[in-house]
Parts: sequence; C-alpha cells; structure tokens
Amino acid sequence: MNNKAVLVVDDSFTVRQQVGLTLTSAGYQIVEACDGQEAVDALRAHAEVAMVLCDVTMPGMDGLEFLETIKGDAAGPPVPVVMLTTDGSPDLIARAKRAGAKGWIVKPFQPHLLLAAVRRIAGEPG
Amino acid sequence: MAPGDSNEARLTELLCLSAATLLADLGVQPEWRTGVRQPPPTGESVAAFSGFANNELRGSFALLGPRKLFARLHPLPQTMTLRDWADWARELVSQAVGRFCNRLLAYGVQLATSVPQGALAKEVRLASSLDPARSPILFTIEGLVLEGWLELDIAPSFRLEESPLHEARAALREGTIVFF
Repeated sequence: MNNKAVLVVDDSFTVRQQVGLTLTSAGYQIVEACDGQEAVDALRAHAEVAMVLCDVTMPGMDGLEFLETIKGDAAGPPVPVVMLTTDGSPDLIARAKRAGAKGWIVKPFQPHLLLAAVRRIAGEPG
Repeated sequence: MAPGDSNEARLTELLCLSAATLLADLGVQPEWRTGVRQPPPTGESVAAFSGFANNELRGSFALLGPRKLFARLHPLPQTMTLRDWADWARELVSQAVGRFCNRLLAYGVQLATSVPQGALAKEVRLASSLDPARSPILFTIEGLVLEGWLELDIAPSFRLEESPLHEARAALREGTIVFF
C-alpha cells in the first residue's frame, strides 16, 4: 500500500472510474480532472499528486496542450505524465515525448498492466 | 465498381473490422453485416458519434443501440448509473473511431478526430445525411443489435492503397504500453 496520488485526466467518467478503481485497489489516491485546464488547476491545488494519467482528445485544452502547458520552459513536466488514449499515431507520440511524457498507453487497457505501468513510473516494485 | 466506390467499400470494411475487434476486446463476439435495416428500436436507446477528417476524407461514425447492450459492454456494469450510459457510449464510439484511424495510418492516411458526443433517446432512428438509401452496419451481440452508421465524404483525389504500405508509420496497437 502507499499514499501516492495519481491525477486521472479524461473527459469520460467511465474511464476515470475504471482507472480509479484499478489504482485505489492498490492503495493510490485519485484526483480527477475532465480536461486539460482542470488538470492544470488540479496540479496547483493538489501537491500530493505524484503522477498524471492523461487522455489526449478532450474538449477545451487537450492532453498534449496540457502536457506542453505544465512543461513550460522547464526541461520536463513537474511530475511524470503518461498519456492514456485511443490514438496510436507516431506523430502524436513523438510530440508527447518531446514535451516530456514518460509513456503512452493505447486504450483499451488491461487493469493489471495499467497498474504495473503506474508502479514502474512511480519507482515501486511491481 | 468505380474507384470512389472501392474506396468507400474498403473504408467501411476497415471500420467494421475496427469496431468488431473492439467489441471482441470487450468480451463479446459480434456478427456483423450490412445491407439491411432494423425496425426502429423500442424503449430507451443510447446513441453516440465521433467525427474524423483530413483534407481529402471526412466523415463520422455513429453507434445506436439499446441501453441493455451498452450495459453488457461496460467494463464495470455493476456500477452504472443513469449518467453513465451516454458517457460510456461516447467512449465506445471514440475507441472505435480511434482504432479505425490507427488502422488507416498504415495506409498513409492520417485523420484528426473530434470529441465524441452522445445522447439518451427513445425510439430514435438514424439515417444517412449523404445517401438516404444507405443501410447501417449491424453488429448482433447476444441477440441484441448495435447499429453503426459510417458517413464518408471522399474527395475525388483520395485513393486508399490496396494494402498497408507504410509499416513505419503504423500506429501502436491497442493495449500497447510504451515507456520513454
């Protein structure tokens, strides 16, 4: 068990719920956001967030814009960000990588593999 | 068959395969067919659609089916509440279109997708705005029917390659996890 918080950014309540159940079962806390702007605000409001799982296609600020916004002029985002999306386009993946993302997951995901990915990014034993 | 018809037929087949494999990943084995219409569904239905476009090809894919069917496909059916129906339908159509676009990358076709939309309805019936004679794609799942409507607006200059030629540009497959 652990007390790390993961920010889950997706416009789909179903996906946020699915990810949330997967991670809370392993002891993670969950913070949710519906789009990129909400995610920017959530990162400011929740210092306990240690990692972000973020969709790409969302209304308003999308996931890649969110990633580029929080990176700003720094070398990378303030916390690890993994994109979780239906899109597998190499161009988008390259853009995310340039903006400092730590990984890319193509939906749909297997819960145990998602949990393993989160643990790996968090530096925890699988 | 004119070249444009061939493009449309092959794009439709790719979409059908994309949707069918998605449904299989959700634990059902759909049978799909085209060329027939269903009577208007009775009772509460769920509909959702998502668009896609580039300079030569634009369109949308819509899904329409009974609530019971969307519940069957939901990853956490025991947790569903009223607000989940349309949300899940949006996610489902988004994943189907995403899979279709991922397949097309290997043919050198890159499409931008829209944010999906969804709605709950009663006795709703979809039809093609581009071709009134068009029939839906019907996915039969455990006795329930999910209608899929693919709208395509194809520029005369568009040509879909006969086979995937751009393996280097191919998209990551669904379920793939990569670390940077």
